[in-house]
Amino acid sequence: MSDAHTAKPADIRALLRQVIEHFEHILPAQAAIKEFVHHNTLHGFQQLPFPQALAAAHKVTGAYGYLPEEQFHACYRTGRISREDLEQVLDADPELNADEDILDAAGEPLKRRDIMLAALLHPLKTITGCQLNWQIEELNALAAFQPDVDAASRMRLLDAAREHGQADEATAINDLWTACLHTLGLDHYLLHPEELLDISPEQAEMMLSTVVTEEEHSEPGQLLMDRRIDREADTLMESLFGQLGHDLTLAGLLKTVTGEDLMDTLRPLLIRHVGSFLDQGLAAWNAPDRQLGFYAVWRESAMQDLAWVFEELPDWRDSIDTLPDDPLDAVLIELKWLGLAEEQWAAYLERLALELPGWSGMFLWRHNHPGYDGLEQVQVDMVDYLAVRLVLERLFAQRLCRERWTIEASFDVIRWYFRHNRAEFMVRYTVYNRHLPEYLVTLAQQLLNCSALCGTDSTQWLHLAHMVWTWQQSPVSDRRFGYSVHRSAWRLFRLAQHLGVCGADIRDLDRTTINRIFNCVDSLDPERAGFIWLQAYERHYREQLFNALVNNHGRGRWSARNTRPAAQLVFCMDDREEGFRRHLEEHNPQLETLGAAGFFGVAINWRGLDDSTVTPLCPIVVVPAHEIRETPQSGQEAAGVQHGKRRQQRLRLKDLLHQETRRNLLGSTLLILLAAPAALAVLVGKLLAPLPVSQLSDKLRNAFERVVPTRVNINSKDDRPATPEEPRPGFTDEEQVDRVQGFLRNIGLQSGFAPLVVMMGHGSSSQNNPHLAAYDCGACSGRHGGPNARVFATMANRPEIRALLRERGCDIPEDTWFLGAEHDTCDECISWYDLDALPPALEQSFNKLRQDLDIAVLGSAHERSRRLASAPRDPAPQQALRHIMGRARDFSQVRPELGHATNAAAFIGRRSMSQGAFFDRRVFLISYDPTQDPEGTVLETILLAVGPVGAGINLEYYFSTVNNERYGCGSKIAHNVAGLFGVMEGTSSDLRTGLPKQMIEIHEAMRLQVVIEASIEVVTAVYERQPPLQELIGNGWLLLSVKDPDSEAIHIFTPGAGFTPWRGNVAPLPTVQRSPEWYNGHEGPLTPALIEAEATHA
Amino acid sequence: MHKLAWLIPLLPLLAATAIAIGYITGLNRGEAGEKQTRRIAVGAALLSLLLVLLIDGFALLQGAPGQLRFGTWLHSGEYAIKLSFTLDALGLSMTTLVALLSVLTLRFSVNYMHRELGYQRFFMVLCLFMAAMLLIVMAGNALLAFVGWELAGVSSYLLINYAFDRTTASINASRAFVTNRIGDAGFIIAIALSLFWVNSVEWPAVLSCSTTLEKLQVGLIAASFLLAALAKSAQLPFSPWITRALEGPTPSSAIFYGALMVHAGAYLVIRLEPLFEQVPVLMLALVLFGGGTAVYGFLVGLVQTDIKSGLIFSTLGQVGLIFLECGLGWFTFAAWHLAAHAAWRAYQFLSAPALMHFMGRPSRPVPRWLAHKHWLYTACLQRFWVDSLADWLLVRPTRALAQDTQAFDQQVVNRLVGLPGSASAVSSLAQWETIKHGQASRIVGDSGDIGHGRGAVGRLMEAVASLLHWFEEHLVLKGGDEGIFNLVQRLGNVLMKIESLLSEPRYLILLIVITFIVVL
Repeated sequence: MSDAHTAKPADIRALLRQVIEHFEHILPAQAAIKEFVHHNTLHGFQQLPFPQALAAAHKVTGAYGYLPEEQFHACYRTGRISREDLEQVLDADPELNADEDILDAAGEPLKRRDIMLAALLHPLKTITGCQLNWQIEELNALAAFQPDVDAASRMRLLDAAREHGQADEATAINDLWTACLHTLGLDHYLLHPEELLDISPEQAEMMLSTVVTEEEHSEPGQLLMDRRIDREADTLMESLFGQLGHDLTLAGLLKTVTGEDLMDTLRPLLIRHVGSFLDQGLAAWNAPDRQLGFYAVWRESAMQDLAWVFEELPDWRDSIDTLPDDPLDAVLIELKWLGLAEEQWAAYLERLALELPGWSGMFLWRHNHPGYDGLEQVQVDMVDYLAVRLVLERLFAQRLCRERWTIEASFDVIRWYFRHNRAEFMVRYTVYNRHLPEYLVTLAQQLLNCSALCGTDSTQWLHLAHMVWTWQQSPVSDRRFGYSVHRSAWRLFRLAQHLGVCGADIRDLDRTTINRIFNCVDSLDPERAGFIWLQAYERHYREQLFNALVNNHGRGRWSARNTRPAAQLVFCMDDREEGFRRHLEEHNPQLETLGAAGFFGVAINWRGLDDSTVTPLCPIVVVPAHEIRETPQSGQEAAGVQHGKRRQQRLRLKDLLHQETRRNLLGSTLLILLAAPAALAVLVGKLLAPLPVSQLSDKLRNAFERVVPTRVNINSKDDRPATPEEPRPGFTDEEQVDRVQGFLRNIGLQSGFAPLVVMMGHGSSSQNNPHLAAYDCGACSGRHGGPNARVFATMANRPEIRALLRERGCDIPEDTWFLGAEHDTCDECISWYDLDALPPALEQSFNKLRQDLDIAVLGSAHERSRRLASAPRDPAPQQALRHIMGRARDFSQVRPELGHATNAAAFIGRRSMSQGAFFDRRVFLISYDPTQDPEGTVLETILLAVGPVGAGINLEYYFSTVNNERYGCGSKIAHNVAGLFGVMEGTSSDLRTGLPKQMIEIHEAMRLQVVIEASIEVVTAVYERQPPLQELIGNGWLLLSVKDPDSEAIHIFTPGAGFTPWRGNVAPLPTVQRSPEWYNGHEGPLTPALIEAEATHA
Repeated sequence: MHKLAWLIPLLPLLAATAIAIGYITGLNRGEAGEKQTRRIAVGAALLSLLLVLLIDGFALLQGAPGQLRFGTWLHSGEYAIKLSFTLDALGLSMTTLVALLSVLTLRFSVNYMHRELGYQRFFMVLCLFMAAMLLIVMAGNALLAFVGWELAGVSSYLLINYAFDRTTASINASRAFVTNRIGDAGFIIAIALSLFWVNSVEWPAVLSCSTTLEKLQVGLIAASFLLAALAKSAQLPFSPWITRALEGPTPSSAIFYGALMVHAGAYLVIRLEPLFEQVPVLMLALVLFGGGTAVYGFLVGLVQTDIKSGLIFSTLGQVGLIFLECGLGWFTFAAWHLAAHAAWRAYQFLSAPALMHFMGRPSRPVPRWLAHKHWLYTACLQRFWVDSLADWLLVRPTRALAQDTQAFDQQVVNRLVGLPGSASAVSSLAQWETIKHGQASRIVGDSGDIGHGRGAVGRLMEAVASLLHWFEEHLVLKGGDEGIFNLVQRLGNVLMKIESLLSEPRYLILLIVITFIVVL
């Protein structure tokens, strides 16, 4: 152990700061739940290539990052992954050597590819002795094929066997098993674990001879077995204590040897304190003096806590009283006390934080966001948390160690103890960490119970250790070295069946070939197998996608605006708008739709009429420098004041009802008596008729509060520079022109302006949903994007701006009018802004547009219904819309909408690339005109903004889907909102981060396929200029392809190898008149199709 | 109309049975079976509610039906237990409330539980619970009410344990279940006493027993019922179980702990109004327990930082007040309070996930003078250590006692009786090795090493042989102080162990208990 005294406190302080900084890489980085923004769950590992990052995260957090094998198998069965996909992926990886011959079976060479395919498609798992017995005795495994062997393999094997004179299945299979055992030099006889209680001399002799070498025999003195057990215990101890720090904490170590998890006792205690300290206002009474920091608050409390008495903690008062005042000192003392080498401290603290990742992550987030939510007086410092965590761990560990062994709870002492009690260690370790047969577990439990009560002598431990060790050497157990029946023979047996190789061929194999076969199978560890499956899954979808793009080449409208569109609508790039836009265009081909990040290039701090504070509306990485307020229109000030008053009254009443009935004792009795009849009526209404009740309540509310016509104040006379630190109200003319021009250039709208240009922001409204923000606009930090649309339209309509734009070469016709609107992706409603300013000349066009949108709303609702299990099957459009609207208002509904659950690809290019094809709401659509951007500067801006947003959404869905238990937050039904910052399961669990099960059920977990319409040269140049893109794309977090603007050619980008042309199969696509023809009657994901809708009434 | 009243609790019970049978036979499993399940559950509950409403309607016109008899349940000697309902004003209004809130919760769960693995299980238990609650409020006698009482307990256990793969959930479910058993003991004693002294368990008979019985007898019956009520309504000192009960899905938290089950105890007290009014001491007890729980719920509720805990503590506070009101003799007001509270909490619990969006501002902070009482804050945060105290006083000693008994079994009883330990030639390679090397004396094991005998006689022979062997080995062969020293040391160890065991509080308690038994 290095001496910690030599380190200067300053160094230690710096070291701890570094450790805490590094926490960001391993702890969940989710913000308080009201600020939920999609982000890459493994953001901290983004500097690594995708598969390596997943492996690293798996190692650190224990969470596997691919779908479970069974689900991939299910995809294979349902045709979402084909054999060809797997073969292509295997062939594409040079490391796998797929083409290498491994063995000859009946004259036919079998390649590594065949073996890997068999291993991927059929689990070749080790089995236990009992399972093998079951297989042989109950499932007849030695006389019949394994049930999952396909017909072709069966045929091949039987044919080969027949040549060797084995006429029937039973003989062939039995011979195969014997051959497998023989080739591996193994024996197998049916033996049941309990038989080991009574070992015959012959058996004993045989087992001994296989495990003991000659020289061991010749060693004099100690009993052979004792030596073996000592040696094995030493090895185990070495590896276990070697894990301390980076893989194991004190609590973890004690759990390994006592089966008792300190966290069970510690968790509720810690959570209560942390919850009370971090609380953002749920409780009326928070920890006193929160400005002193968590450690101080906890200590003050701990001194007055009687729990220690009841928990029978030794010397608690002294322990807590003698703690240093400075949390940092406390951390140092505790770490030294543990007896951990200084270079392991960082790793140990990380491991400690990871034992409660959700709460640690939230503490860290608040540490990094001081003063969040007006809680300036709360001093959140991660060191405090670590100090408390360490002290608690020690207190409880001490109790456990004292009870069990009457020793101190430090690593050195525990190690010392076990060095002197190797047999006990051996037994304890195997009982809690290895598989043991029942008779041994019973014996061990008895001994452990006894030892806890009255102590035991070492001979009892030794005897049991002998028995355990004997069992481990027996054929019933799985030997841990060399070939074994359960690990090797059984797998070879299964593999041979799937390859259709008969016993005779197996007998022919020499050792090297056998080794190569096992190497090949073993090379497909869960990480690699998962990655292969994932790539195959992605490839399958990609082939369909590219085929559709090639087929659609030259078909889509508006590649150049030769005629003037009736209207242009700019939507958010959101995948949920793909369906809406398609229905709109199908209905009226004269409309052009475009897509862009839904904050429309205006990053603002927004303060709506009813808001008391500002809200940033822009991507999470941007900090707005401008503040925009919504105020009553001139002449409406009095109405505005009245509205404000009434609203305040309503909110006060609401607060009174919801808060005081929770907080008060006597007062709430009165309130409850008054409110109960109404509550009962509301409850009945809300449950039986959610839609009408909610509409009625909206109406009543508006009647009470009065709707006030408002304006947004976007202009600023002041031209001092606006900075994020000192946001300035409004934009100067210059700033407005920059934004309007920049945005229009980004989406390639420089000419051919329609009379109406609609900026369509979006948001989502639902009830009873803590994860509300996760459904809103990702480009607006999980908020509604309507205000941005409105601000943009207001800017673009100003004559001054138009004039300035014209000077800069962007000529917007006089008769073009911009409109702001917001689309609610949950209930499909569209709200419009500033309609009173619409020029009368455009009224007719606007009414027509509204009718078109009404049809699109119906279409979109109709299409969404097909994926919702509880929606009516094959509904009329009106019926579908009613369901969708009712659903949004139903407070018992945990799936108000499905969010981004279908996202899978992103197109960056002109709408003509994708228009006219059905993409099943799976594609982010970002408008970009390559013909106007020879240098790629526009593309660069788009990629920098859209790349992280798209990857964030896609990867959050990916990880929450593949491992909902660890990366997601489980089912919503047991969620319990804690402190207003997160959700727990029940009342004392870890904070759960990621997406709930209800959001990801139908998601197909694959990485985003980004297809850019541009030339390879432009994209390459942009890629080479931008390190952030190199990280995202080069490390495989996004999959990139490029489609040539002028031809059908598509090139796939492979990190490290650059662009290679796509040579997939181009097949004609089914063609339908309208989307519903294609999707009607289908509930699952659909392949692309072409749509022939022509304007019949436009 | 009221002739059909027996259908009211039976319908949900049948629904629960139907769902269970459907699940066992595989008729309603998986997502496809959800429709069938919810139709049965909601349908039966709705029918039940409809019947209640019809009876309500008749009652409004003709007055409440009062005590109804549908036959005899058990008949033995002079004891006859009837299947009877008490549908007086109190019973009928509570029945309406229970049926309505159950139907609403079931309806809520239809969407809420969609695609959950335990969908069928959840609806089955919810129906079972509805039947149980209806039985409690409708029952015309204590025994029928007790059936409901127990069913409610079981369904509560099943729903806390809904996510039985989570250890916390299972532990909490067991804890809640066991705590409730204490109350059940009270209920059973009350029933037994009524049978002994009143000769009947019909409510009217029990309630009018004060005319024939002595004060003390009335007091004992009422006190037993009070114990049951306190446990079911989670009054102090039983409160901790309800805070552990929030592991289940939101709708079950709503109906069990927010709305209905927590009020079952209060209902029992209101039902037994005439009984309690006869015993001023118990009225005082109601005031004390209720008032204590109210203050407890209020104070602890102030520091709760998660929504469900916050709600449950304020629920406790209100239920405490209801008990207090009963203690003050305001039984009618208590009944109104109960009904209003049940309805409001059902609403509040069901919309618990959205409470964060309803909050316009943080909760109103506590006054300054209170905010800085650090010790009180700590006490509240630790919930006045009620749970730890129970652990310390009851749970851990019991567990230790169980372990002691087990050890005693293994070490003493098994050896005496002669159950086969290991009857083998060798059970480890080490033994084989030793035998081979001719070092028989090195063999160690729990069964001695000379030979193997079965049964007491065999063991005896074996023991004698072992003893002689041991004697030879330790005292004769080793000779001198080593052997004797060891012997003395081991003897000393044994004595110390016995002494330390006897100084453990559990044995002290045990001794006291034994003394009591002997004395009595």
